[in-house]
Amino acid sequence: MINLQPYENPMYFVYLVIALLPIMIAMLRGKQLHWYQTIVSFAFLLLAFGGVKWHEGIALIGYIIFEVVLVGAYFHYRQRENQTWIFCSAVILAIIPLVIVKVTPAVYGHPSLIGFLGISYLTFKAVQMVMEIRDGAIKEFDPWLTLQFLLFFPTISSGPIDRYRRFKADYERVPNPQKYLQLLDKAVWYIFLGFLYKFLLAYVFGTLMLPYVSKMALSYGGISWWLVAYMYVYSMDLFFDFAGYSLFAVGISYLMGIETPMNFNRPFSAVNIKEFWNRWHMTLSFWFRDYIYMRLVFFIMKKKLMKNRIAIANVGYLTLFLIMGFWHGLTWYYIVYGLYHALAIILCDVWLRYKKKHKDKFPSNRFTKLLAIFITFNVVCFSFLIFSGFLDKLLFHNIILR
Amino acid sequence: MKMSKKLFLIFGPVILAAVLLVALFLTPVNVQDISRGTIQRAALSQSPKVFRGMAVKKAAFSKNYVPFFGSSELSRMDSLHPSVLAQKYKRSYRPFLLGAPGTQSLVHYWGMQGIDDKLEGKKAVFIISPQWFVQGGINPDMFNYYYPKPAIVKWLLQAKNNSMDRYAAERLLALSRDRSSIENNATIRIAAGQSLTKFERIYLGLKANALDREDQLFSTITLNNRESAVIKSEKILPATYNFKQLDETAYYLGRTHTTNNSFGVDNTFWNKRLKRSYKKLAGKQANYSYLRSVEFSDFQLVLNQFAKQNMKVLFIIPPVNKRWSEYTGLSMPMLRQFVKKIKYQLNSQGFHNVVDLTKDGGKAYFMQDTIHLGWRGWLAADQYINPFLTKAQPTPKYKINNYFYSKTWQQK
Repeated sequence: MINLQPYENPMYFVYLVIALLPIMIAMLRGKQLHWYQTIVSFAFLLLAFGGVKWHEGIALIGYIIFEVVLVGAYFHYRQRENQTWIFCSAVILAIIPLVIVKVTPAVYGHPSLIGFLGISYLTFKAVQMVMEIRDGAIKEFDPWLTLQFLLFFPTISSGPIDRYRRFKADYERVPNPQKYLQLLDKAVWYIFLGFLYKFLLAYVFGTLMLPYVSKMALSYGGISWWLVAYMYVYSMDLFFDFAGYSLFAVGISYLMGIETPMNFNRPFSAVNIKEFWNRWHMTLSFWFRDYIYMRLVFFIMKKKLMKNRIAIANVGYLTLFLIMGFWHGLTWYYIVYGLYHALAIILCDVWLRYKKKHKDKFPSNRFTKLLAIFITFNVVCFSFLIFSGFLDKLLFHNIILR
Repeated sequence: MKMSKKLFLIFGPVILAAVLLVALFLTPVNVQDISRGTIQRAALSQSPKVFRGMAVKKAAFSKNYVPFFGSSELSRMDSLHPSVLAQKYKRSYRPFLLGAPGTQSLVHYWGMQGIDDKLEGKKAVFIISPQWFVQGGINPDMFNYYYPKPAIVKWLLQAKNNSMDRYAAERLLALSRDRSSIENNATIRIAAGQSLTKFERIYLGLKANALDREDQLFSTITLNNRESAVIKSEKILPATYNFKQLDETAYYLGRTHTTNNSFGVDNTFWNKRLKRSYKKLAGKQANYSYLRSVEFSDFQLVLNQFAKQNMKVLFIIPPVNKRWSEYTGLSMPMLRQFVKKIKYQLNSQGFHNVVDLTKDGGKAYFMQDTIHLGWRGWLAADQYINPFLTKAQPTPKYKINNYFYSKTWQQK
């Protein structure tokens, strides 16, 4: 059977638009085609997880059954009682498959059998549901809608991470043709911008330039200008590849009447690292903010574990970014990447407080803004150099300098 | 505004773009002529686009260009480089450089697909780097860098159920990053000895058309221009070909370019690539072996293709810089074993034009750096290349032996 990975080549979009055409026509007439949408989703999931990837397909089915049963069970429990330890167990259970998938390669050196493309993003969605059920924000449990939400195929492999309540509202809304036209307009723009990002710019940076600078940096060994070049080229490739992918996912969602949130908002124009995280991989950083950082900070304050608000915030940052580092994988460079960002944000806060106290001393004009953007950009690019794992290859496993 | 008008504003440009694109790629218009100048630029460019494509190669091989298969040594373009000598002395042939850092047997095998008719009975020069024959053969990253999509599509359309094609398919599956396309599925069928489905044939036929068009449109633009480098390198050479004078020139060039190190390595190469790391490399190559490698079977694909096209090929095995190999501890007995093995593979199948230069690694200014021929090395190679390409050669009789595709041979 043919296997088609989401958005991997321009032909994918041709198949996709043909398949989505009936939905688009129905929406323009103010009607929904939920049954047809389900069939299309199933077909594209089958294409992504069938063929040579059938074992991932099996893992996905097992995983989905597990998570839906878990969320459903917790929902029914929560209607009667609300014990913290049950809540914690539900969260831990929801995360366990992901933990196994992340730990297996580090311990056994091969990928886990229960892994599949996109397991992280599904886990974020499931954990989010458990937490909002605990909060009482999700008031009814609909297994069918939960399935639609978790398996929404445009975003299944790498996000953006939607929120259940938002998704539900969009999914159930009777489409308004005028509003849908606006969505179509944006969808076409996003998809074509995505083409520019992923198939042109990411190709130039990732396929044409990266192998070359990588080879040069490895043959020079140690710190060299080629390493600096690698840092920038990798950063550009990472951004255009991922941002292009996200634009596709958002654009295709729009075609289906679902306003999946945006993932990137010109991240390299951020004036400091805090703002950067409000612009880079936004659905992930907001997820970490809402479900880890905020909850931890509230918990510390409620239990009066610490008094100093700055210290509480810093503990929050450290926890958030360490978890993010571990989530990327159990290697030294992902963890250092997490610590680096935590440290950068803590220092950024120190600086912002200092600046606030001494307002009169610091000028604020176009030049200082540009300088801030420049510094932030370089701090971020350096973090991506750590993230890339290239330093590991260069310093510890350099095969060219044999 | 009416809905239809809005829809037109949104999708009109998209539809127009799609129609134009399809028209551009699928109309089978004839190849435009590729000018002599473009061919010359492509012949010197060593660009992956040129290796992958077919249009320029076809045009070049119907003229007097001869394929020079090799790897990084081809980019050592000093005054004694084959391209410079051929141009300076107005020889009847011009080298078409097929090779750059990281190109190994497989890249060359794929580079010959789809241009069969232009290779039929043609002469070629093939520089075999012993360094290719490491355990795993070509690095997958490098293979994907040169990923020969147009060649793969053409090849799939005519692949048969024989050892050569099954082996090529297996290697492709092992190295390619492409895991899901129709091409990949078709390759799996070939590897399994099956034939393509009807749908695959139609799809690949259309794809071949589109890729041809892409090749014709894009493979000759933005090529790096090295003609000026050749013209500059020519200047120092004597007006008429004279071995003694040329050897003196080569000697002079070598001496003046290797002044900052004791290995006889080109100054620039030394500064860029070795100066900082050479201390770490002392004795590091003592355990290197070029004797057991999947590359032997990959190389067999190339030989098989040469035989299929009745090509007359001169093989050159370059040496390793002796001072460098003594420093890094690379084993000379191992290198001699390698030559023996590769020569057996060549000679036993009827390839008899083999030049073994591996004993010359200690000659002054023979190598431009550690493993790449330079000045006097190029001149020495020219003593074989020139007569081979300018004089008539007997028609070879090849006897292809599928044993060389086996693991037994690779690991022997």
